Amino acid sequence: MSAAALTAVVAVGGVVACLAVLLAPARGRHVLAGALTAALGGIGVALGATVITSGLAPAHLGWLIPLAGVTVAGDATSGLFIVVTGAVAVAVGVYSPGYTRHARQSRASLATVPVFVAAMLLLPLAASVTTFLAAWELMALTSLVLVLTDHRRPETRQAGLTYAVMTQLGFLALVLALATFAAGAHTESFAGMQRAASTLSPGLRAAVFLLSLVGFGSKAGLLPLHAWLARAHPEAPSPVSALLSAAMVNMGIYGMLRVDVALLGPGPRWWGLVLVLVGAATAVYAVLQASVANDLKRLLAFSTSENMGLITVGLGAALLLSAAHNRFAAQVAMTAALLHVANHAAFKTLGFLAAGSVVASTGVRDLDRLGGLARRMPATTVLFGVAALGASALPLGAGFVSEWLLLQGLIHTLPASGVMLALAMPLAVGAVALTAGLGVAAMVKAFGVGFLARPRSDEAANAPEAGASMLAGASIAALACAVLAVAPAILSRTLTHVLTALPATSGQQPPRLGVLLRLPGIAGSLSPALLALALAGAVLVTVVVAGWGSRRRPAPRPAVLWGCGGPALTPRMQYTSSSFAEPLQRVFDDLLRPDTDVDVSHLSESRYLLAKVSYRSVIVDAIEQRVYRPVLRAIAAVADVVRRGHTGSIHVYLAYGALGLLIVLMVAQ
Amino acid sequence: MALISESTYTTALDLAAGALLLMAVLAVWRRHLRTLIRLLSLQGAALAAIPIVIGTHTHDLTLVIVGAGVLVLRGGLLPWLVYRMLPGEKPLSDRESFVNVTASLLAVAVLTGLAYAVSRPIVALDPTPATRAAPAAIAVVLTGLFILVTRRRALTQIVGFLVLDNGIAALAFLITAGFPLIVELGASIDVMLAVLILQVLTGRMRVKFGGTDLDQLRQLRD
Amino acid sequence: MSGVSAGGVIGAVIQVVLVAAGAPIVVGLTRQARARLEGRAGSGVRQPWRDLRKLLGKQRIRPEGTTIVFAAAPIVLAATTLVIAAIVPGVTTGSPLDRAGDLFSVVGLLLLGTVALALAGLDTGTAFGGMGASRETMIAALAEPAILMAVFGLSIPVHSSNLAAIVGATAHHPAGIATPGAALAAVALGIVILAESGRLPVDNPATHLELTMIHEAMVLEYAGPQLAIVEWASAMRLTVLLTLLVNLFAPFGIAGVRPGALGILVAVLAITAKVVVLAAVLGAGEVFIAKLRLFRVPELLAGSFVLGLLAVTTSYFLTSTGG
Repeated sequence: MSAAALTAVVAVGGVVACLAVLLAPARGRHVLAGALTAALGGIGVALGATVITSGLAPAHLGWLIPLAGVTVAGDATSGLFIVVTGAVAVAVGVYSPGYTRHARQSRASLATVPVFVAAMLLLPLAASVTTFLAAWELMALTSLVLVLTDHRRPETRQAGLTYAVMTQLGFLALVLALATFAAGAHTESFAGMQRAASTLSPGLRAAVFLLSLVGFGSKAGLLPLHAWLARAHPEAPSPVSALLSAAMVNMGIYGMLRVDVALLGPGPRWWGLVLVLVGAATAVYAVLQASVANDLKRLLAFSTSENMGLITVGLGAALLLSAAHNRFAAQVAMTAALLHVANHAAFKTLGFLAAGSVVASTGVRDLDRLGGLARRMPATTVLFGVAALGASALPLGAGFVSEWLLLQGLIHTLPASGVMLALAMPLAVGAVALTAGLGVAAMVKAFGVGFLARPRSDEAANAPEAGASMLAGASIAALACAVLAVAPAILSRTLTHVLTALPATSGQQPPRLGVLLRLPGIAGSLSPALLALALAGAVLVTVVVAGWGSRRRPAPRPAVLWGCGGPALTPRMQYTSSSFAEPLQRVFDDLLRPDTDVDVSHLSESRYLLAKVSYRSVIVDAIEQRVYRPVLRAIAAVADVVRRGHTGSIHVYLAYGALGLLIVLMVAQ
Repeated sequence: MALISESTYTTALDLAAGALLLMAVLAVWRRHLRTLIRLLSLQGAALAAIPIVIGTHTHDLTLVIVGAGVLVLRGGLLPWLVYRMLPGEKPLSDRESFVNVTASLLAVAVLTGLAYAVSRPIVALDPTPATRAAPAAIAVVLTGLFILVTRRRALTQIVGFLVLDNGIAALAFLITAGFPLIVELGASIDVMLAVLILQVLTGRMRVKFGGTDLDQLRQLRD
Repeated sequence: MSGVSAGGVIGAVIQVVLVAAGAPIVVGLTRQARARLEGRAGSGVRQPWRDLRKLLGKQRIRPEGTTIVFAAAPIVLAATTLVIAAIVPGVTTGSPLDRAGDLFSVVGLLLLGTVALALAGLDTGTAFGGMGASRETMIAALAEPAILMAVFGLSIPVHSSNLAAIVGATAHHPAGIATPGAALAAVALGIVILAESGRLPVDNPATHLELTMIHEAMVLEYAGPQLAIVEWASAMRLTVLLTLLVNLFAPFGIAGVRPGALGILVAVLAITAKVVVLAAVLGAGEVFIAKLRLFRVPELLAGSFVLGLLAVTTSYFLTSTGG
């Protein structure tokens, strides 16, 4: 099928699937919803693959939206994001029937999922301002409905409110940015805007860049507009969390690529610098929050922010390097960013699906009450382990290759590239490295405390293994993780297409991601496949060595754990998630500002005998406290002033109306 | 013909400047007073190496003599003067600064970056091996200021002041390729006088307040 | 794949075998040097090997409630270290794995081993295991920026983070090492290597008090053959890191990309001598320092990070105006 036909199938399919789920009988509804979502995702993957290889010819459908009409077109960049979204939808679709059997999901919520997926699949194909904004808003609204699925919980309502405000503010910024851009370019089609971009005044371009950064950054969870992400993503049902965290945030990155890099660029150097700084700050702050988070899904959501920060660092570095005529390194950085989009989607889908299985089986998200799942849910444990390995960017994990590429891009700044790069790049390397280190700590905590050791609550002790559909859905994502970790070469052609299409990185031979990753112009190479092979060999050698003398050795014997010679250890004596993160919390005290209380009460006989020690520690989002509160207070103050005009008298209101009309007439004359 | 080859000269000069900077960073890092004085002495030696290296390269005997003088003065005499203040100091470690160690170190890293950034025009003006090492001297000046601003104890303040002055002297050597002997001597004697006065003041403070925590000076305002 | 030579393969195999067999001796050497300086006779440099042989012959123990993670962690730790031993240019710069992994991969593999052991510590479900895992993870997380910054500083002069390129360049131009950048990077890397291999002042490998342990707390539940693997792997880790340090800054005698038999022999002797000297110095140095309080370790690592950053900055600015 041609790309155009597939696009039509996705658009119509989304609507039809929504109606079908709405009309389906209650019994088979969740299976139908899952199947339709998976099918839609499958078509999306096909559509994306077609768009990558042959593109989607520009088409204008004047009748679809009054006045402006709908304009679509697609290139390799669109295709990459469509494929990623489609693949996430397939895994989520297969997974969700099993999940919804445990956690009931309302009819409206189930029916919204296909529309949401279709909106995300179609957004990258939008080729005019109106079409783009319409698809964007459809995505935002449907995702809001999905976040509010569990609206009986007060936390969910609160999160939904935060999300609604932030996403609409972001939308407002986008409307302003794109409207300004379109007005300056005298056209609203992306093709025309790209041609006119170089004729715009620098001030106007800077304004468009900053406004669009606010809009897209709020969607991608970049600092300081990150607060909604860690609240809203965990509150949605887990399959939806996966869609939000692995697919929707990417749209923020896609928007930056499309509007700021492809249409508006090439820009001045400070654009790249702003992106690097924002990205680095986001990555470090979010990973720090992740490493002290005690809620499994909140930890994963913060990790999403972190990875979006890393991708933004890659984008910014590519722009900076490209502006400094360091094309090789620019390509490496851009490759890293794009590859990380795919890698992150893979391991984050898996992470949220596995976490969803845990929530479905135990009803607990608090790591302090989990533990011991490895024995009760072995398959889910392995799946989460794969996700955690990917998220911690260790060798053999899905995130390793892209972070390696990112570091290579950052360290190969030519000394002649100027002071700004020479100062920014070492700091960026430091930030990326700290992010990597803390990311490992966060994932060791999530996996080690949540799945290993002994159960810390009855719910965890009696957790049943996840159902077949859930395991199948998560296994699809795990497969993607494994393939991307060992053979990123499968994305090689796609990335080549994308890189040659973007103005910041065109004109050179892009990095080759074969069995051996080679970076042209940079003496650096890596082979994840060979490393994996070598590790397998080394494991074999070690096993043989460890078996030395095994014939003489008696059979293994169970042993009691060491408790300093005291009585048997209880699960309460284990390290919990809070205690595991305590050293880090203490080291980053100034940044996290934890609210900690230790309450010690002594026995009346002696001060040396303790009756009770209670420890309470709350970590709130320091930025939310410091930045959002004053803003909200200012808004409230302004609202107070406005309220003074609200007398309640209908005559005064009529007078306002008349006054307004007069002003409009005078301005318009 | 030069006594030493161009590349050896550059390397030696870079190493001296690098050592100067390293001692400044270590002075921010370490908190033990005795260590600080030892670092000061080493920094004086590194500073003295700069004019000696330049002098050997350009066959300028005066510079070598200046270097020897600097070595005696900054590597020996000044640290010894500071060392004499030690017996009354307790505790011997200055752990109570306004900024913790980790943050101080990161701040110094940023200051060094800044020093390199702002000195680009100076280096571009006359790119010789000596001026190329000048940013390190500016970084030392900034670091000395940083120590002055953040430390509490009078003695560490003196150390900060001396680090600052070492930086200024190094900058002068590197950029002007050595100023007249008399100027250097005059400057050094000024510094020595300052140290002596500070020493007396510290002694008085200790007698009056029983310690050299400068925060106590705030009480004088009331 | 170009650049793979028979001599390179043989050299790589020899260096892996050398590390595997020599690691316990290196640990024995540090202990012996320390013992002599403290006025004790010491148990001889071959004592760690005797310990390993004894442990390997013992019965296996399965602590209650542990999973496969606990059993697999020592193997993962040893395997990652063996792979690093094959990548790091100890005997030859022509290792066939050099193209497959650079200095960043080495850092990643080290971290992978640490993570495996930390998970094993958590898996036991004891307070000590969790404590060790938590502390080790904190140190590993904070060491990451420091070590990567040092790597960055080293990679600037040669424009590559591949080890053979860095070591090869230093071997050809020994003068290049006498720059402030390289000197600062050496100090920075030295500090992180102490942290990564769990030596004083970060961790005391000889401690017997659970509350002061980091590495030892994580492996408290291991016994018999599994403990042997952990001990052997830790020794190899130390040896590999010492090899890396010494050859990054003093690669004298190392065999080239296509070494002959004589070249390999010289290289083996050279690296053995260098590591032996460094191990003795390490053991002697530990006599004079005490373990840092846990919450002052971040200061040490921040110091290393700043030195790395200074190395990068100086390299940048000195090469930029010079080149």
